[in-house]
Amino acid sequence: MAKMSKQEKKHRTGEIPTGSFSDIAFLLIIYFLIATSLTKLKSITADLPSGEKATQTQTSKTPIVNLRGDQVFFNDKPVDMRMLRARLDALKLAEAEGNAKVIMLESTRDTPYQSYFEAMATISESGGVIAIVEEE
Amino acid sequence: MKKSQRKKRRTVPVPIASMGDIAFLLIIFFLVCSEVSKDKADLKAVLPLSEYVEKSEANVAARVAVDETGQIFLDGFPVNSAKDVEYGVRALLANTVADDQRHVQFKCDANLPKETFEPILRAIAEAGGVIDAVGEKEQ
Repeated sequence: MAKMSKQEKKHRTGEIPTGSFSDIAFLLIIYFLIATSLTKLKSITADLPSGEKATQTQTSKTPIVNLRGDQVFFNDKPVDMRMLRARLDALKLAEAEGNAKVIMLESTRDTPYQSYFEAMATISESGGVIAIVEEE
Repeated sequence: MKKSQRKKRRTVPVPIASMGDIAFLLIIFFLVCSEVSKDKADLKAVLPLSEYVEKSEANVAARVAVDETGQIFLDGFPVNSAKDVEYGVRALLANTVADDQRHVQFKCDANLPKETFEPILRAIAEAGGVIDAVGEKEQ
């Protein structure tokens, strides 16, 4: 009887089974590979100041980009995106400071986000700050 | 008889004792290097095109998305209006100090009209976010 208990004790002090550790670990790796995203999205950074409402007289000299559907106007003259970029570059917005950097962006109701996005991208790339014109 | 015994001895077993360690090291690597996606992966939206889009390196504090039906999502959860976006983004940006920490990712369907996306852009700006508008590179 005494022998039996000794033998039992020996069996109890066994090692932790680690044989399946690698399987568990690889399953976790597969989980992380599926659940995480390594892709980086492409975007433009648009600077839109908040909380500033200017009157029409204060902003009369500010350059304005109008979007009417798919058409683009810069200071009421029709342009395409390349021409708009050239006009904005001529203003040297990147070197300007304060209000001189501001470009107003006005759009009609039927303007799709595609046109708006292109205009925002062009203004931001030129170093401008976008001020959205609000309809009254 | 002797020949067959020699052949058996040549079959060397692959050492797999360290496989578990290697696997756990790989897990730690993924845990450290990866970021759990908060994107709404199945967002149905056609992204706008521009030649000026670039891979963004900024850390995004919040994610706002608008699908093709005009449904707005904030960090993957549907919200009802632009005002909800403003309050949500404001809360998420409450503990930020620098402009680099205030980037808000904005995804929107390219065909949506102004009345859908403009209030949201304005809401993000009002909440103090710097807008990272997601698009695709125009070829």
